[in-house]
Amino acid sequence: MAIGLIHYLALAAALFLVGMAGVTIRRNSLIMLMSIEIMLCAVNIVFAAYSRVHGDLSGHVFVMMNFAVAAAEAAIGLAILVEIHRLRRTVNVDELKTLME
Amino acid sequence: METVLFYLFGAMLLGGAVMTVASRSAVVSAVWLVFAFVSAAGIFALLAAPFLAILQILIYAGAIMVLFLFVIMMLQGPVLPAERERRGLPKLLVLAAPAAAIAVIVIGWLARRGVTAFDGPPVEAGTAARVAELLLNRYLLAFELISVVLLVAIIGALALGRREEDRPWR
Repeated sequence: MAIGLIHYLALAAALFLVGMAGVTIRRNSLIMLMSIEIMLCAVNIVFAAYSRVHGDLSGHVFVMMNFAVAAAEAAIGLAILVEIHRLRRTVNVDELKTLME
Repeated sequence: METVLFYLFGAMLLGGAVMTVASRSAVVSAVWLVFAFVSAAGIFALLAAPFLAILQILIYAGAIMVLFLFVIMMLQGPVLPAERERRGLPKLLVLAAPAAAIAVIVIGWLARRGVTAFDGPPVEAGTAARVAELLLNRYLLAFELISVVLLVAIIGALALGRREEDRPWR
């Protein structure tokens, strides 16, 4: 059986769901950041798949933009995490509730 | 051939992602994520995007994951306690499994309906030269703007990473 657009979309949807479950369930903010990367990767696959369908390489350009945004997000997010860890000695989001109290 | 490779890389990608989410230790998670990203590069290669596949390995599996591992090693000294999850590991897997189930069900359903391969014009492969043609002509403005985003990210990360007494605004 030949592989078509729908297969890639199903794979991307499943991947996005896994990432979303990670962000929702995990309490370790490092792993939450990794789950966000998984979700971005799922979006990249959709871009590349539609790029193939339409025979237009613009999708690839947008994936590259996405790479840059993901890199920036990881750098800033991890810097913020290091700072939080320095101040609060934890990266567990359940214990970061200063605003709540 | 494409079918076999799609299912192989797809299973590796989903498996790696589920293990990333389900692993207890952040280091184990990161290593599984590298595995998942390398599989994603295979998916890109199947989608006639060889340049993206190489970028995926260089940027994601290389640069970003090295950054993650550095931070994990930095934080996981004596101070990072064993993570207390609100919910246990089995429930985690129960929640991650539906994602894989959706993929299998949708693909199986479509297989019975006889959905075929990509139609539309056959594409040329997205090699570096072809992508660069677009990137440096039609999307030149976006290309320049994204470099500004990266510059701001560098400055922000440096500013956040300084020691407190060294900060000019304190």
